[in-house]
Amino acid sequence: MLRHTLQRLLLVLPVMLGVLLVGFLLMQVVPTDPAQVRAGPTATQDVVEAIRQELGLNQPLWKQFLIYISRLAQGDLGVSIINNVPVVQELGNTIGPTLELMFASLVWAIPLGMLLGTVGAYYRGSLLDRAIMAVSVGGVSLPVFFLGLGLIWLFGFKYPILPFTGRTGPLWTWEGLQGIILPAVTLGGVFVGPVARMTRTSVLDEMGADHVRTARAKGLGEMRVLLRHTLRNALVPVVTLIGLQIGFLLGGAVVTETVFSWPGIGRLAVGAILSSDLPMAQGTIIVLSLGFILINLTVDVLYAVLDPRVRGA
Amino acid sequence: MSAIPDPLATSLPAVGTVRRVSVLRMLLSDTGACIALVLVLLAILGGVFAPWLAPTDPYANDLANTLKAPGDFGWLGTDGQGRAMATRLLYGLRTTLMMGFASVAIGGAIGGFVGFMAAFYPSLSGILMRLMDVLLSFPAILFGLAIAAIFGPGLTAVIIALAIATVPLMARVVRGSALVILQQGYIEAARSLGLRDRHIILRYVLPNCLSAIFVFVTLRFGQVILLGAALSFLGLGAQAPTAELGAMAADGRNFLFFAPHVSVLPSLVIFAVVLAFNVLGDGLRDALDPKLRK
Repeated sequence: MLRHTLQRLLLVLPVMLGVLLVGFLLMQVVPTDPAQVRAGPTATQDVVEAIRQELGLNQPLWKQFLIYISRLAQGDLGVSIINNVPVVQELGNTIGPTLELMFASLVWAIPLGMLLGTVGAYYRGSLLDRAIMAVSVGGVSLPVFFLGLGLIWLFGFKYPILPFTGRTGPLWTWEGLQGIILPAVTLGGVFVGPVARMTRTSVLDEMGADHVRTARAKGLGEMRVLLRHTLRNALVPVVTLIGLQIGFLLGGAVVTETVFSWPGIGRLAVGAILSSDLPMAQGTIIVLSLGFILINLTVDVLYAVLDPRVRGA
Repeated sequence: MSAIPDPLATSLPAVGTVRRVSVLRMLLSDTGACIALVLVLLAILGGVFAPWLAPTDPYANDLANTLKAPGDFGWLGTDGQGRAMATRLLYGLRTTLMMGFASVAIGGAIGGFVGFMAAFYPSLSGILMRLMDVLLSFPAILFGLAIAAIFGPGLTAVIIALAIATVPLMARVVRGSALVILQQGYIEAARSLGLRDRHIILRYVLPNCLSAIFVFVTLRFGQVILLGAALSFLGLGAQAPTAELGAMAADGRNFLFFAPHVSVLPSLVIFAVVLAFNVLGDGLRDALDPKLRK
């Protein structure tokens, strides 16, 4: 177990280094001079040169990379060139709302998807099964922004009962709870279909297994066979698959945040890129990438905990 | 986002020779897949012949007739600058399909090459597939953000990002099916005849992997269009005044409450096209591998 975890960690380190290198090179390929930017357009050549010294821009590239890593390790990601706010501070402000949104989406989408998938598998081939599968293929094909804009039109304009711009408050207050409904329905909505499909496949596999037939032969009730003998085994691979795709949920979060002006890290990243705020763009991309690596690592290790067969591999 | 890769999409048909006639017959017996096929063909024709089909100039403003509802003015109404929606949709479809085609073609070619190399030369396999795993651990949207940050937003950035995101998926599909083919007796025969590696790959392995590749490409095309439209919606893709479906939907946000058609129509077109590719891909997979039909 420990060995598996360590192995994974060793594999992750070069990837993290790669992400940092790409982040670093991002600043190099861009034609703007960071010293000039920091000094301002009216600065004299001497001042620019002084700043260049201070930032270590005259050093060879590999030394600059080391400086950059050590600054990063101290939590210094630079300052936004738009509003002079430290990048780390902005990241700290936006990461919470993004996690909040992802949580609020998964908390209903996963159970619903699992339920639909199980029902579909149990009544396979029936009209109900086909309807569920049709809806889930539709869900996979639906642009996130279409769902979001549709919900805004319906519940923000036609029947104006829910807020749809920005985060209206902390999640534990009534206002905050109301405000997260539409974004969470949007982001979770595109996740239901894949979860239902995965669950259906897994449950179908399990329903044909020997131990399930044995359970039936023993004369156990249908409900008990389904819940205790089928679902319990079927859901382990589904949970892992979902874990691996939580990273991809963040991609949807970027669009959802933009549609609903949700103050999350995805919207911050897009805004930074569109306004050419390079330090901010770099910071958001690095943090998002490291986030993905960590999520994958966690799921990988958890998988080994849940399924001993993986450990040897 | 529907960047969520459907795990079923990777369970590709067993490789091997399938009689083409029976595949076609099975596909045609699947009503959903038939409708999807027609839709896909219509979309492609619409995109290719947009300059001939479009009733008006896609960039001609008519500020006296902005935001007209469908049926009211022109065929499908006008957008915020008085440009005919019907024209914009056709050109938007053209841009979106071209973007999807370019990224799948580039990413698929590179990924296919990597996949064949990894399957054919086991010594390369470890490092190549590890590299693919790394690429696979990042979602396409993140590549989109990073590339747009480096090169600036634009269609090229989106195409590069989606191509990169397609490489590892294609490599896996190709390697998986090529490994099965390489086990076959005729490969051993070809090898013992002293044929060159390149000849064996191109003449014997590649043709037998085509069905798996075809299913993958069809499903991937739908996903890529969805991702590309999302990136354009965010403003990272096609820039105004270029007509692109995702960018058009974003443009319509400003008029959502009094002229919803400006957003809804392009979104609907994206939905229909992606759905058609997904259903067609599923149908193809079922037809190519009857074992999956339970």
